[in-house]
Amino acid sequence: MARYVLRRLLAILVVLAGVSALTFFISHVIPADPVLAALGEHAREDQIRAFRRQYGLDRPLPAQYAIYVRGLLRGDLGLSIRTRRPVAEDLREFFPATIELASAAWLVSLAIGLPAGVLSAVCQDRPFDHLARLVALVGASMPVFWLGLVLLGLFYYRLGWLPGPGRLDVHIAPPPDRTGLLVLDSLLAGRWDALGNALAHLVLPALALGTFSTAVVARMTRSAMLEVLRQDYVRTARAKGLPEGRVLLVHALCNALPPILTVVGISFGNLLSGAVLTETVFSWPGLGRYATASAVSLDFPAVMGVTLLSAVIYPLLNLLVDLGYLLVDPRIRYG
Amino acid sequence: MVFSVQRVIALNKPPAFLFKDIAGLHEASVRAPDTRTVEFTLPKSSSPQAFLSILAFSVGGVVDPDEVASHQSGQDRGEAWLRDHSAGTGPYVVERWEPESQVVLVANPNYWGPRPRISRIVIRHVPESSNQKFMLERADADIANDLTPEQARELGNRPGVRIQRGRTLLLVYVGMNVGHKPLDNPKVREAVRWSIDYDGIVQGLLRGNAQKVQTIIPAGLFGHNPATSFRQDSSRARQLLVEAGFPDGFSVELLTPTGAAPGGVNWADLGAKLQADLGKSGIRVTVRQTTQAELLNVYRAQKGQMVLILWGPDFPDPDGNVTPFTDYEAKSIAWRNQYRDEALARLAKQAALETNPDRRRALYRQITEKVLHEGPYAVLYQPTLVLGVRSDVRGFVWNPMGYAEFRTVTK
Repeated sequence: MARYVLRRLLAILVVLAGVSALTFFISHVIPADPVLAALGEHAREDQIRAFRRQYGLDRPLPAQYAIYVRGLLRGDLGLSIRTRRPVAEDLREFFPATIELASAAWLVSLAIGLPAGVLSAVCQDRPFDHLARLVALVGASMPVFWLGLVLLGLFYYRLGWLPGPGRLDVHIAPPPDRTGLLVLDSLLAGRWDALGNALAHLVLPALALGTFSTAVVARMTRSAMLEVLRQDYVRTARAKGLPEGRVLLVHALCNALPPILTVVGISFGNLLSGAVLTETVFSWPGLGRYATASAVSLDFPAVMGVTLLSAVIYPLLNLLVDLGYLLVDPRIRYG
Repeated sequence: MVFSVQRVIALNKPPAFLFKDIAGLHEASVRAPDTRTVEFTLPKSSSPQAFLSILAFSVGGVVDPDEVASHQSGQDRGEAWLRDHSAGTGPYVVERWEPESQVVLVANPNYWGPRPRISRIVIRHVPESSNQKFMLERADADIANDLTPEQARELGNRPGVRIQRGRTLLLVYVGMNVGHKPLDNPKVREAVRWSIDYDGIVQGLLRGNAQKVQTIIPAGLFGHNPATSFRQDSSRARQLLVEAGFPDGFSVELLTPTGAAPGGVNWADLGAKLQADLGKSGIRVTVRQTTQAELLNVYRAQKGQMVLILWGPDFPDPDGNVTPFTDYEAKSIAWRNQYRDEALARLAKQAALETNPDRRRALYRQITEKVLHEGPYAVLYQPTLVLGVRSDVRGFVWNPMGYAEFRTVTK
């Protein structure tokens, strides 16, 4: 088991090496010069030279890559051309906001998608099933940008039930920064006003971002449950006179979990990387906004930092899903 | 004051060009003979008017030498620390800066002037203009400064909100690279200028959120020339093309940035409008859209054919526009369009140094008239900033250089 995990972690390192080389060389061969973009209209030759020296851009490409990799091994992702701060520092600042949003959206997708999928399977071809499938279809096809604006327009602007864009109202002082996750930081500091406000601010963006995943989880749960409900052991459980709830939740759902787990795991990765539009609509200062602003400013070190972070997250999530199979299916063994 | 100016010069980052290149200063040019006097020594080749404008601009801001020294890292004279802190003498200080999110300013308890009436200012980054409108209407924001023309029109009728217009010194223009045939022909450039439906752009696309300006000094700056000689006249443009030897027109590429142009219209829509307008005169335009950073790289490398872009002066003096637009050697706009007219550049230098206002105005008149007809530009409009302001907010003034002073605001 430990050897299996180690092997998978080594594979992540190989992926990382490949991604770093690919993104580095692609970003350095495209015909766009980040120096003028960074220094602006009036940069003089001596300033441009100094800037190139500072960022190592005056060296041959392989040497630049060697410097970059050496930095990577020390956890140094280089300096952002746009913010002039270390990229690792920027990522530490922006990533928690995205984790918080993606986690909330993920919870939404589980809280709605799983029960809806189970109920839909139980009520196959009955009105609830048709309705749930229709809602799932609409949810999966709705552009997140449009949905975000509609949710804001309705629940914030028209009804005033929920707060507007941003992570906190302007009159609420943020809790002391420990993790960057406002909900957790508020809890740790016992700042209940900030906690309530941060949670309220999470509702609409989490709904907007989580709608697609909810639909996918609901559909996958439905089809996995339908498959399992036809099995002999479910029929046997019912024949033994077990309560229907126990049949569904213990005998059926537990056996349907592996494919659902795969979808749920991958959807978390998608939520993390797919938050760009939601973050723009909801003025959410997360990684997506950082990545977009960096790409537009030709800030290659920052773009590479974001890419590497994504390249770590996906295989890690896959590993977690694979380990999760052990919990839901005792027959599975990794050697 | 001496420390602050010397700091900018010594750091030698891009803003240093204002002191070094425009004002001709070096570190020894500034000294304080006593505690109430600062003496600057300018070379004869520098414009005193331009220097005074620079001094009143952000680069002339004073920083506290002791505070900066205590946060120095290496030789950076506190630059890294000042990125999210303040050590100035203004009415507000930075309490918190959260990138891509917000800046929180609080009243400076040590301010030398009257204490500002608003104790805390939060400047939030809200990229979606519809959200800015929502927040303003729900009184979650007091001022929204990124509204589209349609949103401004809607808000004009809502209770509790008023629309305030702010002047800018920006010019949206098309640069024509004279190194690219047939744009080297003045008659062809004149034909382009006669092809454009300026009123349609200002009244239709921008819904009046702009002023029709066709000369290179914007309204609001000394020396502005209000001449608007051009209107859309496609037959006249076609006639000019015939005279220039292009009876069948010609094909050309127009580079435009992505996103929103000043005034609230998308650059893409503006590009499409120009394509349609020029098409009526037989000029076949291919519009190519890139990010502004990439577009500027192409433009600065003199590789654009026609480029739709904007310009704003770096300091509030006509020389902030006239030298870039006319002097090839300044390596700015004239250089990018390969427009070289040495007599014109000499005239621009003379105007910059002229201290007599009447003579200076006359020189700028002469320059702007010449560039209007012979230059490689079609100036389209000077945008107006449309701000939505809550009715109880008073004393908010937008500075045309692109910032607001909050010390005058009450609520």
